[in-house]
Amino acid sequence: MLLTFKVNGVTRSLEVSPAKRLLDILREDLELTGTKEGCGEGECGACTVILNGEAVHSCLCVAAQLEGSEVVTIEGLEENGELSIIQNAFYEEIAVQCGFCTTGMIMSTKALLMHNPHPTEEEIRIALSGNICRCSGYTQIIRAVLRSAKEMGEQ
Amino acid sequence: MKLVGTSKPLHDAKGKVSGTTIYAGDMMLPHMSYADLVTSTIPHGMVKSIDKSEALKVPGVIDILDCFNTTNKKFSRYKTLAWQDVPEQDCIFNQHVRFVGDRVALVVAETLEAAKKAARLVKVEYEEYPFAVTSQEAMSGKIDNVYEEGAVFEALHCEMGDKSKIAPDTVKITTNTHLSRIHHAAMETHCCVANYDKSMDQLTIWSPNQACFGIRAVVSDLFEMPYHKVRVIKTTMGGSFGGKQEWMLEPVTAAAALRVKRPVKLVFNRSQEFTSTISRSPMDSVVTTQFTKEGQLQSIELDNTLNAGAYLGNSLDYCGAMSKKMFRTYHYPYAKYSSRAVITNNPVSGAFRGWTAPELCIMIEHNLNMAARKLNIDPLELRIKNAAVPGSLDLALEETLDNAHVKECLELGRDKFDWYNRRKANREFNAQNKRYKRGTAVAAGGHLSGYFPRIPDFSEVGLKMTESGSVIVSISLHDHGCGTVQAMRMIVADALEIGEDMVLVGEADTQTTPFDVGCFSSRTTYVLGKNAYKSAVAMKKRMKNAVSRILNFDEDDIEIHDGIVTCVGHPNFKWTYGDVARESLHILKEELSIHEQYKNKSNPAVNGVHFAEVEVDTYTGMTRILNYLAVHDIGQAINREICIAQTQGAVLMGGGAAIYEHGFVRENGQPLTSFKDYHLINSYEAPNIQVEFIEDGSLDGPYGAKSIGEVCHVEPTAAVMGAINEALQSDFDTVPINPDAIVKYLASKEEK
Repeated sequence: MLLTFKVNGVTRSLEVSPAKRLLDILREDLELTGTKEGCGEGECGACTVILNGEAVHSCLCVAAQLEGSEVVTIEGLEENGELSIIQNAFYEEIAVQCGFCTTGMIMSTKALLMHNPHPTEEEIRIALSGNICRCSGYTQIIRAVLRSAKEMGEQ
Repeated sequence: MKLVGTSKPLHDAKGKVSGTTIYAGDMMLPHMSYADLVTSTIPHGMVKSIDKSEALKVPGVIDILDCFNTTNKKFSRYKTLAWQDVPEQDCIFNQHVRFVGDRVALVVAETLEAAKKAARLVKVEYEEYPFAVTSQEAMSGKIDNVYEEGAVFEALHCEMGDKSKIAPDTVKITTNTHLSRIHHAAMETHCCVANYDKSMDQLTIWSPNQACFGIRAVVSDLFEMPYHKVRVIKTTMGGSFGGKQEWMLEPVTAAAALRVKRPVKLVFNRSQEFTSTISRSPMDSVVTTQFTKEGQLQSIELDNTLNAGAYLGNSLDYCGAMSKKMFRTYHYPYAKYSSRAVITNNPVSGAFRGWTAPELCIMIEHNLNMAARKLNIDPLELRIKNAAVPGSLDLALEETLDNAHVKECLELGRDKFDWYNRRKANREFNAQNKRYKRGTAVAAGGHLSGYFPRIPDFSEVGLKMTESGSVIVSISLHDHGCGTVQAMRMIVADALEIGEDMVLVGEADTQTTPFDVGCFSSRTTYVLGKNAYKSAVAMKKRMKNAVSRILNFDEDDIEIHDGIVTCVGHPNFKWTYGDVARESLHILKEELSIHEQYKNKSNPAVNGVHFAEVEVDTYTGMTRILNYLAVHDIGQAINREICIAQTQGAVLMGGGAAIYEHGFVRENGQPLTSFKDYHLINSYEAPNIQVEFIEDGSLDGPYGAKSIGEVCHVEPTAAVMGAINEALQSDFDTVPINPDAIVKYLASKEEK
């Protein structure tokens, strides 16, 4: 099928199989490898992207459902060539170790703060519960989300 | 020290938050081909034939390698040193398949889609053999045809210390412990890219791994290539926890690249990760301790049966390693250890964070908890009474424990966790609550800071200075993602009195970085870090020597402070490091370079004491970890927040193993294949984990640092297990203690 959709603000038209996963379209066809595959079954959150304003597992979305949609990936977050507030907060709060969950974690954070700009710690823990980090105990990640919310509020 | 002890983001954290960091699975090379594995669907049998006709019809398929058209030379997935004598049982593809997930064939295609499609069309015909899922089944003789030697491999039997020193009139406590299989579950699955350049006869392998030189040895020997023709490059690693220290993909991908003579990429999916890599072995142990009536530990006798899975891999060494860790925490006169590795038709067992120290901790700490009950002594006081003290001799390694601080960890934790009041509050809570029960427990453990004295423990580091005064460190690091590169930058920067942004530290590449035995036994910071420090100190001396020869100054008069070189008696002389490097090249015609060698000769105790408070819902069997404290004797934290974050991650990993994680194999031999059945503690369930460090340096580590990455995973399972047993006043000896186990236990208790 010919798929036309927007990725990080740019309209893309691709010839793909209707069953091709969004994750594979991003990584293989568009070479946006910042989105990672951790499990391929919606359990780990490493492949999280924002589809029409909602955080989704890109491993569970297929081309057939993407026509006319808008997708934002980690590569679409930087502002004027600088790290976005959330990316910078993850960096500064040392919320990054192996980094394989990081991009999905940041995308879930982005979606959370779009809907709830001032989340409590409990709300953050719930919002990120589908994103697994095997390196840390989530402490630095939660701190990064709180910092992001605060800095975005100050803007 | 300006940087050491502070908290810094990892060297590649900006790339990781931007999504620009390239992991092996993200690599794109010209003419890349893609591979997918065909694995055994039966637990035990012989491949009779493979029908590839339908698979070969899939457009884009380049070739299919299998057990009939690929070398059947054997190798060990666990071999990490060229001279290592280990059982070699693996073939690249196995005709005699021994578990569901065993490698049978590999499809190489122009696209991943084609490779996957064709892999599904490969038809394998098997002759099926009887199979064994548990060690007990295998020990019955049911699968004695699995290897020429049978299924049971006796491992180390030894005695340590002096039996005659056991006090008379002791109380004997015997406990059993049963540990389930657990998986590393690193977020990045295993992957490998290999390329063969025929014109140069050069094979290059990229993978996230813990020992590039080990892979070089295994692959070179397999394909009979001289070692310089095989280049292994360590890629950014998305977590390992021991899972990436054995070679399942590299020999396979190398075979494919040699066959198709172009780059091949093989990335495991999560299901293959569960079945076809390695995982921590199930263990069944019997521990008998002897105590005086006052609670002084006299002896530990431990018998362990390890379920090796289908190939021995590291299992014989794993059995042996446990005995070497029996005197890292407690001081007592005598130990006896016996063990065996049993082949079963399970996924292959292998290395896991802590290398038997967490398993040993679970076994011993459970026994100590039961002993404390029987002797009517507070569990914490029982541990304080028996803690190893500074200068204690490790009777297994026959080396000093240096400044072991087990007792201080116990005492600090007791105060910080408010041990007595918390336990009193638990008892009051339990008296008033029918549904929820709370318990608090402690677990103490110890680990190593290197290989010494068991395995050659040395380091080679190259360091050179650029004309701008920055340095490039050539060192074979294998950063798992927990920041050893950043730790080296901080160590070198402090020693040279420059900023970390002036220090470039690379990772292992067998063609360009010096030899290293790999990232094992928590040796990186202690051994390689020490040598990085020594290299920086040597560079300062080298700079002084260069200046003295350029300007005819007395070398002893030259001083270096904060990146500036001055000389006593020459007040107008003031050079930057860049000036020295440039003048050395220009005048002396010499690059400022160092090659430093270091042979480690110590292995101080590194200990942790963890405290867990849990709440068990007796209606559902669910356990919540309410509060947690980890106290570690770390010598000196290099990158503080990373040490804390690693410890907290280890608590969730070990805590999860206590209450959820179970890598089961079904009765029909089919193993677990999905995160749906393997729950990892998530952000909602994670407790706040407090971490405290005791830092008073060590014998030889850089700035006094010791290890942290493994020792913090030694205690959590034992601590959470103890807390559940405390909450329910139970004696669970099998982990995980999951809701099923708790509900079953409570139901049987009610029946009684």
